[in-house]
Amino acid sequence: MGVTCVTQWPVAEGKSMQQTVDFLTKKAEFMGATKTGTFAVDCDTFHASAGNPKFINVLHNSEYPKTTFSITDSNSTLVSDTGFDAILQKLKGIYSTKMSSRIESKGKRYQLADFIVKVGIVSIGSSNRGILVEVEYTPCVILQDCWPLLTEFMQGFLGNGFVPKPPSNLVNKVDVYQPLDTINQYLEHFNQFRKAQVPTR
Amino acid sequence: MSSSLPGNLGSVSTTGGPNLQEYVLQGTILDQSAEALVHRLRALCDNVDQGLETFRDHEMVFALHTGGQTNNQVMLRARRSLDQADSPWQLRYLGQTDLSDKSRAVTVRSYLDALTSDTLPAFLNDIGFRLDHEFVAKGHMFRKGKMKVLVSKLFKFQKPNDLQNLEAMTSSRLVELSVVAPSGSENIADDMKVFAEQLKPLVSMDKV
Repeated sequence: MGVTCVTQWPVAEGKSMQQTVDFLTKKAEFMGATKTGTFAVDCDTFHASAGNPKFINVLHNSEYPKTTFSITDSNSTLVSDTGFDAILQKLKGIYSTKMSSRIESKGKRYQLADFIVKVGIVSIGSSNRGILVEVEYTPCVILQDCWPLLTEFMQGFLGNGFVPKPPSNLVNKVDVYQPLDTINQYLEHFNQFRKAQVPTR
Repeated sequence: MSSSLPGNLGSVSTTGGPNLQEYVLQGTILDQSAEALVHRLRALCDNVDQGLETFRDHEMVFALHTGGQTNNQVMLRARRSLDQADSPWQLRYLGQTDLSDKSRAVTVRSYLDALTSDTLPAFLNDIGFRLDHEFVAKGHMFRKGKMKVLVSKLFKFQKPNDLQNLEAMTSSRLVELSVVAPSGSENIADDMKVFAEQLKPLVSMDKV
């Protein structure tokens, strides 16, 4: 596990979302990356019963298949094994979710030396909402030590115009980077996709 | 996360698997007789080659009212080992006792658990659960096949969060014999009854 950057990527002018994803994955292959399977990050939101604005975002990342990440609206977090999903089902009368509101990013996973690259299409139900690119630099767990290297790699992959900023909640992080930090980045993007207008393509 | 706390009543993660149930028999024994029971269990159980397995766990029981007309209460149990500070917390959900078959010799209830980060108490508070009660359980754990036997002394807190000043609840120890297994494993109850018979007359185990 290392430091990860998750970023949105615009759909290319005159192209479909799938064509843009194909272009990015071909580029990764051209750089020498090998396909190592698929990946998925999903998020279900459990809302409290009527009159209570409270909610819990429950996320899973195929990179950590036995783990459930839960983040509330007031940013309390719980990292647990997936047994927690079944316990949440027991709170049905208090917190409930709709399958149709599930948002997920799904796509192919590539490895290039110490980097893992994932290009995913974000969808809510059957509606595609956008593209998320995740790049992980695996040998390092201190964000400040490897961010310039991660940036350089992403510029090589996505173009020089791309300048990834460290996620706002991680800028001053001095301790070890955690899988939860990646999940927080996904949640931030998922929230933006949920609020955004549905794209026409 | 794969380890489990020694004092907990189970440690099986449940998602995607069959519905799990906990089969339980309980009894009590006076402190002065507990040593004799421990000797008996050492003779009967499997995990005694490496000496006695002890545990010291802190359990917090949280409750949340569901509201509405029935206003039921959901309870979740958060437990952590005090001896192994870096081990994960365990969250447990125990269902109502299954009363569909009154001839059953043991208590049967649905059982779910998950191992979690140490943010568990704060997380439960945030989603609306409130601390109902808490205690420290200290004692010995034995295994016999799938069965787990706990002999534990329960302590209450004199002040919240003050683990240095604990007060014994009674002059007895709680004896629990339990198995977590897929629902419908009825022969387990027979095995448990046979085992419980071997602990008589020191302790009489029964369903609650």
